[in-house]
Amino acid sequence: MKSNKIALGIESTAHTWGVGLVDFTGKVLSLVNDVFVPEKGGLHPALVREQHLNNFTRVINEALTQAKCSIKDINLLAFSQSPGLGPVLKIGALVARMLGQLLKIPIIGVNHCIAHIEIGRLMCNIDDPLSLYVSGGNTIVSAYESGRYQIFGETLDIPIGNLLDSFAREAEIPHPGGPKIENLAKKSKKYLTLPYVVKGMDLSFSGLFTAAKRLLESEKYEKEYNLCDIAFSLQETAFAMLTEVTERALAHTEKTEVLLTGGVAANKRLQQMINSISDEHNAKFEVVPLKYAGDNGAMIAWTGILRYKSKGEFNLTETIINPKERMDNISIPWRS
Amino acid sequence: MEKLGDKLGMTRNITKEKLLHKGAEASLFYGHWFGKEVIFKHRIIKDYRIEQLDRKIRTVRTLNEARALIKVKEYRINTPQVYEIDTESSTIIMKYISGSKLKNLIKTLNISKKKEIFTNLGRIIAILHINGHIHGDITTSNIILTSSEDIFLIDFGLHDYSDSIEDKSVDIHLLKRVLISSHGDDFKLCFNAFLEGYKSEYRERGNNAYNDIIKNISIIETRGRYVKKENRL
Repeated sequence: MKSNKIALGIESTAHTWGVGLVDFTGKVLSLVNDVFVPEKGGLHPALVREQHLNNFTRVINEALTQAKCSIKDINLLAFSQSPGLGPVLKIGALVARMLGQLLKIPIIGVNHCIAHIEIGRLMCNIDDPLSLYVSGGNTIVSAYESGRYQIFGETLDIPIGNLLDSFAREAEIPHPGGPKIENLAKKSKKYLTLPYVVKGMDLSFSGLFTAAKRLLESEKYEKEYNLCDIAFSLQETAFAMLTEVTERALAHTEKTEVLLTGGVAANKRLQQMINSISDEHNAKFEVVPLKYAGDNGAMIAWTGILRYKSKGEFNLTETIINPKERMDNISIPWRS
Repeated sequence: MEKLGDKLGMTRNITKEKLLHKGAEASLFYGHWFGKEVIFKHRIIKDYRIEQLDRKIRTVRTLNEARALIKVKEYRINTPQVYEIDTESSTIIMKYISGSKLKNLIKTLNISKKKEIFTNLGRIIAILHINGHIHGDITTSNIILTSSEDIFLIDFGLHDYSDSIEDKSVDIHLLKRVLISSHGDDFKLCFNAFLEGYKSEYRERGNNAYNDIIKNISIIETRGRYVKKENRL
């Protein structure tokens, strides 16, 4: 028997099937991921679903073994309920419901975006940050206000990670594209003009993608400029846009902490830029450690614990998945 | 800022006295310009972005803003008078408007005052739109209310010329977003009053484009990320 209560969290919104065990004091006992890597193109929901179905028991067992736990030691189940790919979300919900009923323990559905912020607050030991959450599926500037995580700025079309991944595919850079683009960008100082689109605190990246793609297709490519120059210009433009809206939201909300999270948070150039504006506004800057910045089960488990402690468990009918739920639709009882 | 003083060859007639506000993009200084009370709006160099991009953004927005501040006066919209523009230091010297940001006033206003102000604001934005101007950043921080209750529009850095319904809807959508996120309790009242004023101005000019513009706001929302399928069009 373990002394503290333990939650098992399941992340299943997109390419990651993640399982994390976290105790009720916030200590992460284990974290195991299985990540779908497409052979070509993007994420096909049916293929992702199949991989998760084939791997979920193995990943759960590994997480239990690493934490030196038996499934019977689990006191709470949490799963990613929204937002994400429908067929993929369904598996997480299915597994959570099944285990919940077998073990007769409470179950909680968690919003994936909120979980990213909550694990960031826990890991970086900060209280009330303005968050920039940047990943393959999301680009959101948010902060807690009047009982919710309000969205101050977001992408109007594609997320930043999607921009980088899509560009990488066009340039035939193998998966994962983000880190490789970052390395290519380091080798250039030549800036090619690209569209910079900020609308209030919202962003648009689709025009930037098209323009970068055209640079690849142009006759001048590899004569007047090379792939490094495009990668450099793409990063500089997109990250300057992100930094500008984050700074505007920071000035507007007057928060004293800034949290950078999501898969793209790993990019050093972006970290440097967000750090610079945080300094400018005397705000403390934190990047969520890579292990917890990307999709993972621990963030789901921890957010499930917060919700369970403040508002209790979900009944079965409340566990229906919601692929399109916005984080600002959800009340945050543990912070009010 | 030294550059500006040097260029104009004097500091006696132009004095920058104190920092009033440090925004995300610009610093606002209070001072005097040939005896007149002025604001120096100085777009700050942003070290986080590369010099080439930084210079371009600052220059384009300074010129954009100055041009718009001057131009929209033709339609009797209150904006600060522009006295001097310096693209080198990305500074605009404009008349000092004594008043408060709407953002800080909302909570102190009673219901009928809120309605009145937002209806008037709706009319002002309608006049801009009818004449092909997109403000680009209508937030409650960019609206100044003077003691005589005149509404002044400021911060035209993201201004654009456009006659498209889409651009006009986005302009209003941004205000809606700010009202929801920062003034949630007053959102319905204020936004409805705004729309009333907006529609009235269009109607009085025998122009019914407002129908499409307002309808398009909800289309933009349903286009947003994570909108439930049943709410999609």
